[in-house]
Amino acid sequence: MEQLLEQIAICVEFGKINKLAPYPPDMKGQDGADELTGKALDQGISADDVLQKALIKGMEKVGIKFRENKIFVPQVLMSAKAMHTAMEHLKPSFQSGTIRRKGIFVIGTVAGDLHDIGKNLVSMMIEGNGWQVIDLGTDVKPEKFIEMAKANPGCKVGLSALLTTTMGNMEKTVKELKEQIPGIIVLIGGAPVNDNFREKIGADFYSPDPQGAVEYLNKLVA
Amino acid sequence: MTSKERIRAVLLHRKADRTPLDFGATTVTGIHILVIEKLREYYGFEKRPVKLTEPYQMLGEIDDELLAAMNIDVIGFGPRLTMFGFPNEGWKEFRTFWGQEILVPEKFITTLDENGDLLIYPQGDVSFSPSGKMPKSSYFFDAIIRQGPVDEEKLNPEDNLEEYGVLSDEDLQYWNKNLEIIKRTDKAVVANIGGTGIGDIALVPGTFLKQPKGIRDVAEWYMSTVMRPDYIRTIFEKQTDIAIKNLETVFGIVGNEIDILYVCGTDFGTQNSTFCSPETFDEMWLPYYKKINDWVHENTGWKTFKHSCGAVEILMDRFIRAGFDIINPVQINARGMDTRVLKEKYGDKLVFWGGGVDTQKVLPFGEPEEVKNQVFEQCVILSEGSGFVFNTVHNIQANVPVENVVAMLEALKEFNKQASHY
Ligand code: B12
Repeated sequence: MEQLLEQIAICVEFGKINKLAPYPPDMKGQDGADELTGKALDQGISADDVLQKALIKGMEKVGIKFRENKIFVPQVLMSAKAMHTAMEHLKPSFQSGTIRRKGIFVIGTVAGDLHDIGKNLVSMMIEGNGWQVIDLGTDVKPEKFIEMAKANPGCKVGLSALLTTTMGNMEKTVKELKEQIPGIIVLIGGAPVNDNFREKIGADFYSPDPQGAVEYLNKLVA
Repeated sequence: MTSKERIRAVLLHRKADRTPLDFGATTVTGIHILVIEKLREYYGFEKRPVKLTEPYQMLGEIDDELLAAMNIDVIGFGPRLTMFGFPNEGWKEFRTFWGQEILVPEKFITTLDENGDLLIYPQGDVSFSPSGKMPKSSYFFDAIIRQGPVDEEKLNPEDNLEEYGVLSDEDLQYWNKNLEIIKRTDKAVVANIGGTGIGDIALVPGTFLKQPKGIRDVAEWYMSTVMRPDYIRTIFEKQTDIAIKNLETVFGIVGNEIDILYVCGTDFGTQNSTFCSPETFDEMWLPYYKKINDWVHENTGWKTFKHSCGAVEILMDRFIRAGFDIINPVQINARGMDTRVLKEKYGDKLVFWGGGVDTQKVLPFGEPEEVKNQVFEQCVILSEGSGFVFNTVHNIQANVPVENVVAMLEALKEFNKQASHY
């Protein structure tokens, strides 16, 4: 059992989706996250174990390697794809509630901004760490964030902005979220954003990379 | 020195009488229409609608009055068709979300969606689905991704080559017409003939195509660079061959009347890192860049221009090896992009076109005094031993206060005055 979970973690780490997938070249023809997850569940390994001991473990390695510039955007996207393929098998367990997730994370790129590559990576990494992620996409107005946060009490919220022209919308969103939902935790990130700006607009956490956000969120529920 | 002589000297890393300046010669060194209007007002020019020359990023025309007032040394010509596939002709009035009256091309055809966001149609054809959207709270368009399901078996690189064809008769007429202006101007000239940008993520969605096929989604494209490298290489290879044919044709028309070829806008940098490893760059991109640059250098007197945002210090050696002469926008606020280091390590081989002022903090949010100080400092560093054309980092965005633009221009003037005493 340990070995199978280990193999799934490796597939996630290196972005091996399924047997047919040509990537990565040195795993050609081998079973991928898809087949191995199916096998694991067939053998009676619990969905929760697959999530905790394979997917989360694999994605954590991805997060660290990405932060250290050892892998790049395309490789992270491949890993996320492998993870999502495995998660498809876990869907029934998510729905029935037999897998416990760490919480709900609502994320989006703020109004007027359409950069989403970084936001997507953050979203995938947090999902791959055992959170349920609600991704609202790009150009998300403050009202939409508030609506989703109200509908999901206790959720944490992540905002992304890549442009100086949209940093103001980020500020507005944080302000309105905090006014409407006292105590709500808001994380921010994106190219022009930094910790000084976070302090200025009253958000709770800034990270230049997804792994930082994962570690912060985990501390909150530890 | 005329502007042309000045730029030519700087491109050869020779002394010029002052640091030359670009605004508006390319679609990565331009000014948003809103700021252009404010600049015209500042200079006391007649109030009239600004012409929209780049509809995707909403960049405006730098007219003759502004060229003269700002002391700009270079003009540019892009491909005949814009990012939405229509030509810049048949002007009509249009009112933006922020209430600005502007002039847009005839085929700039838009509708509003159910949220009140603005949709724009490829080649102005509303019988196809829109290819761009401007949210109400935005200042420019973004590509609408039109990606069908990807069927591995049926993937054909030709589908991603639809936009790369041999220049049409209309294109040739367009370059012939441009030639008249090019011959008359005393400014240096940048030309972008289209089709030389290798794997530019801004072009991948095919906003100019009525019904794009192949890989058009941003994430799918990035994944394809590792998952389907042969597919991508085939596109690059064929695209390069077509581009070189077109370069031959355009060279036949304009010859060495133009000074610079805008080759490619593919962004390799993020704020803190790169989109691929240097090894991947060597394998996937470098050979094609080299082919284009080598052709240009062997057959023309043009210098070649590469744009890449972000933290690309680690790739500078490779840009040089690929044969690029000019690098832009020199994103000085990204990791490792310290102009002192860049100048020291690569200054004798690369011309820096940009990096004159930070656009993530100082230009949009700083006080005019801060802008002045930084511009001065950057000019001192980057002008040392020539090889510097002044520009900001990327286009001047809609939110930049006009006082800061003016402060920037004043600082440059001041610097030039002092530098001429050296
Ligand atoms: C790729 C890119 C684009 C693509 C976007 C494609 C897409 N679908 O997203 C294209 C080509 C379309 C594009 C367009 C434009 N862009 Co752009 N773009 C970039 C570029 C090169 C990289 C951004 C990126 O994807 N990075 C990769 C990801 C992985 O990194 P990231 O987004 O920073 O996210 C990471 C962290 O920031 C963090 N993070 C991000 N969000 C969050 C959220 C939370 C909660 C947390 C914790 C962390 C976090 O984690 C992520 C993963 O590590 C940057 C350069 C730069 N320095 O960043 C310019 C940049 C952002 N663009 C810029 C500009 C100006 C534009 C345009 C406005 C151009 C114009 N009109 O003049 C257009 C308009 C775009 C639009 N319509 O919205 C400028 C902005 C400058 C400014 N003044 O603000 C930049 C900085 C380039 C520059 N030279 O200055 N762009």
